[in-house]
Amino acid sequence: MAKDEFQSRQFKVVGTRVPRPDGVDKVTGRARYGADITAPGMLTGLCLRSPHAHARIRSIDTSAAEAMKGVKAVVTRADFDVTPESSGNRDVLDNVMAGDKALYDGHTVAAVAATSRSVARAALKAIKVDYEVLPHVTDVDEAMKPDAPVLHEGRQQESVPEGYSQNVLARSQYGHGDVDKGFEEADIVIERHFTTAATHQGYIEPHACLATMGGDGKADLWCCTQGHYHVRDTCAELLGMDTGQLKVTSSEIGGGFGGKTTVFLEPVALMLSRKSGKPVKMTMSREEVLRASGPTASTSVSIKIGARKDGRITAGWGDFRYQNGAFEAMNGALGAMCGFAPYDLENVRTTGWEVVTNRPKAAAYRAPGAPMAAFAVESVVDELAGELGMDPIDFRLMNAADEGTKAAYGPTYPAIGLKSVLEAAKDHPHWNTPLEGENRGRGFAVGFWFNFGGNTSVSLMINGDGTVSLSEGNPDIGGSRASMSMMAAEELGIPYEHVRCVIADTASLGQNDITDGSRVTFAVGLATIKAARHAIDIMKARAARIWGIDEEAVEWVDGAAQPAGPNAGKFEPMTLKEIAALASKTGGPIAGHFEVNAEGAGVSFGAHIADTEVDPETGAVKVLRYTVFQDAGKAVHPDYVEGQMQGGAVQGIGWALNEEYIYGEDGILQNPGYLDYRIPVASDLPMIDTKILEIPNPGHPYGVRGVGETGIVPPLATLANAVSRAAGVRMTSLPMSPPKLLAAIKAAKG
Amino acid sequence: MAKERREIRFILNGSDVRLGEVAAQDTLLDFLRNARRLTGTKEGCAEGDCGACTVLVGRLVKGRLRYETVNACIRFLATLDGCHVVTIEHLRGADGGMHPVQQAMVEAHGSQCGFCTPGIVMSLYALWMQSAAPSDAEIETALQGNLCRCTGYEPIFKAARAAAELGDPAADPLEAERADVTGRLKAMADGARVTVSRGEDRAILPADVADLADVLAKHPEATIVAGATDVGLWVTKFLKPISPAVFVGHLSDLRQVDAKAARLRIGAGASYTDAEAALARAFPHLGPYWKRIAGWQVRNMGTVGGNIANGSPIGDTPPVLIALEAKLHLRSAEGTREIPLEDFFIDYGKQDLRAGEFVEAVEIPLAQEGVRHAAYKVSKRRDEDITAVAAGFALRVENGVIADARLVFGGMAAVPKRAAQAEAALKGQPFDAASFERAAQALAEDFQPLTDWRASAEYRRLVAANLLRRFWAEEGEGAKARLEGV
Repeated sequence: MAKDEFQSRQFKVVGTRVPRPDGVDKVTGRARYGADITAPGMLTGLCLRSPHAHARIRSIDTSAAEAMKGVKAVVTRADFDVTPESSGNRDVLDNVMAGDKALYDGHTVAAVAATSRSVARAALKAIKVDYEVLPHVTDVDEAMKPDAPVLHEGRQQESVPEGYSQNVLARSQYGHGDVDKGFEEADIVIERHFTTAATHQGYIEPHACLATMGGDGKADLWCCTQGHYHVRDTCAELLGMDTGQLKVTSSEIGGGFGGKTTVFLEPVALMLSRKSGKPVKMTMSREEVLRASGPTASTSVSIKIGARKDGRITAGWGDFRYQNGAFEAMNGALGAMCGFAPYDLENVRTTGWEVVTNRPKAAAYRAPGAPMAAFAVESVVDELAGELGMDPIDFRLMNAADEGTKAAYGPTYPAIGLKSVLEAAKDHPHWNTPLEGENRGRGFAVGFWFNFGGNTSVSLMINGDGTVSLSEGNPDIGGSRASMSMMAAEELGIPYEHVRCVIADTASLGQNDITDGSRVTFAVGLATIKAARHAIDIMKARAARIWGIDEEAVEWVDGAAQPAGPNAGKFEPMTLKEIAALASKTGGPIAGHFEVNAEGAGVSFGAHIADTEVDPETGAVKVLRYTVFQDAGKAVHPDYVEGQMQGGAVQGIGWALNEEYIYGEDGILQNPGYLDYRIPVASDLPMIDTKILEIPNPGHPYGVRGVGETGIVPPLATLANAVSRAAGVRMTSLPMSPPKLLAAIKAAKG
Repeated sequence: MAKERREIRFILNGSDVRLGEVAAQDTLLDFLRNARRLTGTKEGCAEGDCGACTVLVGRLVKGRLRYETVNACIRFLATLDGCHVVTIEHLRGADGGMHPVQQAMVEAHGSQCGFCTPGIVMSLYALWMQSAAPSDAEIETALQGNLCRCTGYEPIFKAARAAAELGDPAADPLEAERADVTGRLKAMADGARVTVSRGEDRAILPADVADLADVLAKHPEATIVAGATDVGLWVTKFLKPISPAVFVGHLSDLRQVDAKAARLRIGAGASYTDAEAALARAFPHLGPYWKRIAGWQVRNMGTVGGNIANGSPIGDTPPVLIALEAKLHLRSAEGTREIPLEDFFIDYGKQDLRAGEFVEAVEIPLAQEGVRHAAYKVSKRRDEDITAVAAGFALRVENGVIADARLVFGGMAAVPKRAAQAEAALKGQPFDAASFERAAQALAEDFQPLTDWRASAEYRRLVAANLLRRFWAEEGEGAKARLEGV
């Protein structure tokens, strides 16, 4: 469809800081999350999980469990009598219920539903699984070697050259120009190798769902997810159901950050409900969340950049090796696309590698793949600036992408905000206040994210009293109920308080893609504006009918229909409320709707500044000050935009400094709990200062760009650059936990 | 034998609750969420780390009702006998509307996803009752045990600061209810031993310390549970049975903290919070150290006695207490005995504790003039973290010479242990940098630490030696610099 291009306008509601529609429910405990509902006769479902990193499942004996009092259903892979059409969904099935092999510590191999948790636990113990333990591999570089233990035979794509293990599923390449020539032209070339550990999104709400399937095959599912339409489509295929027979309702979501974009428990709960004939509730423990949901890829990245003495980069080269866990994903490709995206390069070449290992399948985590790539590229850029004696921001400004730049990953940019972001950082008091004191260092880095659009449906009902009920189909993870209500109010010309937005279930609206890719404020916002315009068109027609004039002779101004053209001034304007009150007499209920596969999501750039202090005796890092600059296109609700920028930054700080998946020699996750998977507490973080920039996205009527993800891209590099300066040693491996940093300091001292 | 009661009695929000069928491992959180459908209290980790399940528990302390935040996920239901449980559903403002803390959280955008919010509201509520206009340091402490993954905490800080403007703690409904609740709790307290069970699974709350000795004499196999901040995890994480469980947290005699006869006596059932003020008064170096033990909720639950009795090599209190020459009082139906705390730890998982015996108190000599003290905790995060290396140092310096040195480390061996070689390297030596450097080198002979996911052996060795260097920098050079006003 044609894009609705940005047009500058004066906003009345958009851009203000209105009260949160979800605030009271959340502070009073009334908001209902995945685990907060029950059904009569409900059973408790639990998963039996592999204690091995890699094992062939010779047999599963469930007879003893099935015979136990209170056990109503036992499910294994044999119950899923389907072969999904796409390889993606075949992987999903293999992930939610292991087939002939358990592929990671925590992989589900069977499940039970019982009348109580204690009976279900006892039943899990009674299931006998005969495993043939196989050699395993959890490290990406090890997994690529030709002699590595192989997870899947025959899945390697043709893009992978010879000489690699079959664990290397795909290779993708991007770039243009001649990098060899570019490096020859360079006065200085820096090449380094970087690693990052896998991290987890760490949403505080564990996965939970309640499944009810009747004997007639119709089913209802309640779950915490970022995309209930996706859950419906996937579960229907895995259960062999017609999509329309499954209704999925999304609960309030207690954090997702990309981690709730797929299914884990949901198909299993539905199968248990089908077998038992009872509602089945399943909730993951924190340990299960960490062992068996979707963490990030761990990475091994090589970067080489050359520059002339005058500060112009002549070539950039990168090799991005990402392990995606036990199944195929495209994090390596995303890394290879994003790493050099902020730069205007004549010669650039990047390669992304998708590698499987005996770990849980990686899921998205805010700008998936990009933070690790930015860590590597921005570290080398920082070092180059240092070697050239240039200010890190000036060096980036000199090489920054702008409108018309051919991006390293292919397309040519329309209007983008990178230079504005860099200039805002350069002018900010933070950058202009010297950082003094021993063991301290300042870091700077930029980050890029694409942002998505996608399938979207919105419905907007004009109620009889002049209020508006708005339905969107995307779980609200960042304030979309507020921002949609604001955009609807803006377009309709009514007060924000007159609009209430809800998240509709899958039976109530057309298709909606997952809440991911920072797409919602952009795509659902666009659809909301269009749905409002649809309703306005209807209301104009009603007014025209009442007045007995042509529809074309009516305008919508400030929440009211008014006669225009030759009829201007002939009739009193009719407000939305007045038209609504007469709806049943003028043709029936008034509602607008809009369905679209939205395009034109504008890319977004951010820049971060961090001041750090390193304790040379313990290796502990204190973040003293932190400022985030980001282009929001148009900040619909600035508080929420700042919240996204702060949230991304602090998650990145955790990733940079402390968070990591630690696997033992046995391939078992060593730290599956908040006790040892350390996410930041209040005292780990400074106040995060934010600066929103508004460079309008030409592809959205209000200029909106997605803001949810870009904030996590720069912090890894920002912190690495700051800590490297503070500690006097270049840190190339994340997290920079106290043990690792102290070892690096000691090694540097000799 | 004391008279026995077969039910627990407590107040949940506004209602009296009586329960007879309670298993030892039943948690308050499961009771709230499953039995009472009070789903405002969330489960995020079931191990006392995330604080999403934070509720207030009020108990009578010397006749006065005191409310504290606790983690409902690892608080055993049976231990609520005689308490007032306050959940998020009970909060309201003086006018019956939203509570000031809730109002402030809404206005400051203190929630994004909102899942941690009820727990954070409860922690801020407890803070507001204590200190309506808190400092940032106080807010940080109040939030130690609450994880928020969305906000970066800044809006929550803003809410904590703003709450003071929105309401007066003196007008809080809990204050208005105080006399009534106190009266009801007093009426529930009958001095009886309480035994509750479900099937074979049993929980016993002895009537007093003497009764505890009797119970243990009869059930030497029982699991003694004080604050449950470790035992709670045995249940929720490791699915380990604990029946019969003997709960001791309600025994006021065991919770006493008092200084007399030149000794500070901390009852084994005293929580970290109970002991904090008296300890920090007597030993100022322990003030900041104490605040780094776990998070606020865990300090309100966990006990010094439990931290010692469970024998962990990474317990936070043994190294600093051994440095202070603490003595341990052990009691059983046979009588009592006193041993130096350091002798209690025999080997990994093995303590000098006889069948039927329990830790009654720890006593610390107060007269330590002229002794230089330090306490260090090294962990990945400052707050709410498991210790990699803990250290308690005590040095007596006379005329520039180190007359005595006690250097005690946790996390360096199978038990909390003194560094004999490093101590020997200091004793009789001048109080100077060279002596400390020699002691730091000598540490290598004292310990062969383990590598695990919290820290490598190399890191532990390195950082332990650096703590000695830091001690010199702070107490030697640093003190000198301070005296000279540099």
